[in-house]
Amino acid sequence: MAKQLYLIDGDGNHAAAVKTYIERRQYRVSCAGTRDAASLLFDAKIPDIILADPFISEDMVSCLETVKKEHPFVQMVIFTQKDMLNTAMDVFGSSAIHYLGLPLNSKALDLALNAAGTAVSQNRRIERYTERLSELHGTQDLLSQLFEEVPCYISVQDKNFRITAANRKFRDHFGNQVGEHCFEIYKHRTSLCNGCPVMETFTDGESHSTEEIVTSQFGKQYNVLTRTAPIRNEMGEITQVMEMSTNITQIRQLQDHLVSLGLMLGSMSHGVKGMLTALDGGIYQLETGLAKGDESRVMKASGQIKIMADKIKGMVLEILYYAKSRELQYEEMTVESLAGNVISTVTAKAEKHGVLLDISIPENLGKIDVDPKWMEASLVNFLENAVDACASDREKKDHQISFHVSKNSKNQICFTIIDNGIGMDIETKNKMFTLFFSSKGSQGTGLGLFIAHRVIKYHEGTVEVESEQGKGSRFFINIPARKPDSTKIIDFPMAGH
Amino acid sequence: MKKKILVIDDDLNIRDYLVSLFTDNGYDAYIAGDVKEGIKEATKIKPDLITLDIEMPGEWGPRFYRQMSQDPELKNIPVIVISGLSGHQYAVVKAVASLTKPFDRDELLAIVKETLN
Repeated sequence: MAKQLYLIDGDGNHAAAVKTYIERRQYRVSCAGTRDAASLLFDAKIPDIILADPFISEDMVSCLETVKKEHPFVQMVIFTQKDMLNTAMDVFGSSAIHYLGLPLNSKALDLALNAAGTAVSQNRRIERYTERLSELHGTQDLLSQLFEEVPCYISVQDKNFRITAANRKFRDHFGNQVGEHCFEIYKHRTSLCNGCPVMETFTDGESHSTEEIVTSQFGKQYNVLTRTAPIRNEMGEITQVMEMSTNITQIRQLQDHLVSLGLMLGSMSHGVKGMLTALDGGIYQLETGLAKGDESRVMKASGQIKIMADKIKGMVLEILYYAKSRELQYEEMTVESLAGNVISTVTAKAEKHGVLLDISIPENLGKIDVDPKWMEASLVNFLENAVDACASDREKKDHQISFHVSKNSKNQICFTIIDNGIGMDIETKNKMFTLFFSSKGSQGTGLGLFIAHRVIKYHEGTVEVESEQGKGSRFFINIPARKPDSTKIIDFPMAGH
Repeated sequence: MKKKILVIDDDLNIRDYLVSLFTDNGYDAYIAGDVKEGIKEATKIKPDLITLDIEMPGEWGPRFYRQMSQDPELKNIPVIVISGLSGHQYAVVKAVASLTKPFDRDELLAIVKETLN
């Protein structure tokens, strides 16, 4: 692109000659012979180079100074009478790139214009760089904002599975954990998780996804859907992996409701079909009895229809009862009776697996306020899990479960369940009350202990668990003997027991 | 001579229903409440047709079918499966028909008639 040059010269003939000379060197030249003419040019556009005699009028100096001050990238070449050069240098100093004495020497002029042209080119490059840098900063700000504000947990891991960056949502839920291992932060583990998607992405460069249960810094557990993506350097090598996790806890909770309802309806459907067939039979007997005038058949049919109608009514009510939220139905009962009911339910299963039950239920524990149906189901679930833990253990020959009941100083009834089964690792222990988490493979639904734990919580009780892999587990379940002031709503359908 | 039908079902109400239905339509109906009783009755009366429930306490329907298939005197008796379970009828491979409870009584009678003729 041709550079723009303003030639400010009070001598018109001289200016015309210089203009012709300079235009041959591919400059676009505009001339001004007075301060006013120069001002008009500057108002219209600031040139790349000003070639000026500053002493053509008294106020030309200040005009040039102002232009240079406001537009520092403009290159000024000053020419004047030789006896005025020192004055010009005093006035403009380093603001001008070159000083030339009159009459102008063509070589000196060429050198001055070359120097000015080079400075202009450099300035243009700097200007472009500045613009690009500014664009880059803008893009970086936008990406940073996206990274920060995206409504899922994002972390970046290096090859040692240490977190190098995390977005705001991640930091809010898991803390500012840059430098820590992802498995420690996400899962409170001491070693890499099985089937780690980050490791797989480091290995094959592909995106991988898994569904995980993670634990926040406040101990809250979330179901998350995780996807990974590789981050590469200029050489195309994977240096880091980005992990994005979406919280799907609410979806899983909804599924829990549906699955529980499905399980319940599935188990009831066989009975319903039998009842409908029997009802059909009753109607047939009634119709044929009436047609034949067979009074005994009519009477029998009428009784059968009534029984079936009652049964169907009962079952429908039961479905509605289970499917809807309901308050705990507190009843006062003796601790002995509650514990006895629980043990009688579990004994057969324990015997089947050759597990010895060591039971201690003192007679003087008094009464307890509970919803018997829920509480018995919950305690049975804990005990049956203990039996399963023993049945799964191939290391020890003899297995035993202790079921001890006592009362503490806080008027709580304490159920202690100790087994010498397979025990749990930390991850299993942390997740054991999580919806759909099961360590039993296809044998477990991941619902049982989730519901059992909720029942205890809704009775304002507590469950503490100690476990050691290979050695066994200890459950300490404490339930207030007296009903709390407010009654909780059980907001899930009962499944399993 | 009336054709004999043996009804094997653990539900007393359904047994009563099927017996009435069959006797009202000109058949002699006999009953058994489980597999063991079913084999005993079948051996005794040599029925022309058996209706068999699948889900019963103790041994289930397909076991009855296996046992009768190994008995030269019983193995050719046609069997109609009448069950609340769907899908399990495949456990009785040679059943002439498989009905799911609650069944259509006209459909059952039509199958019985066609089988026994």
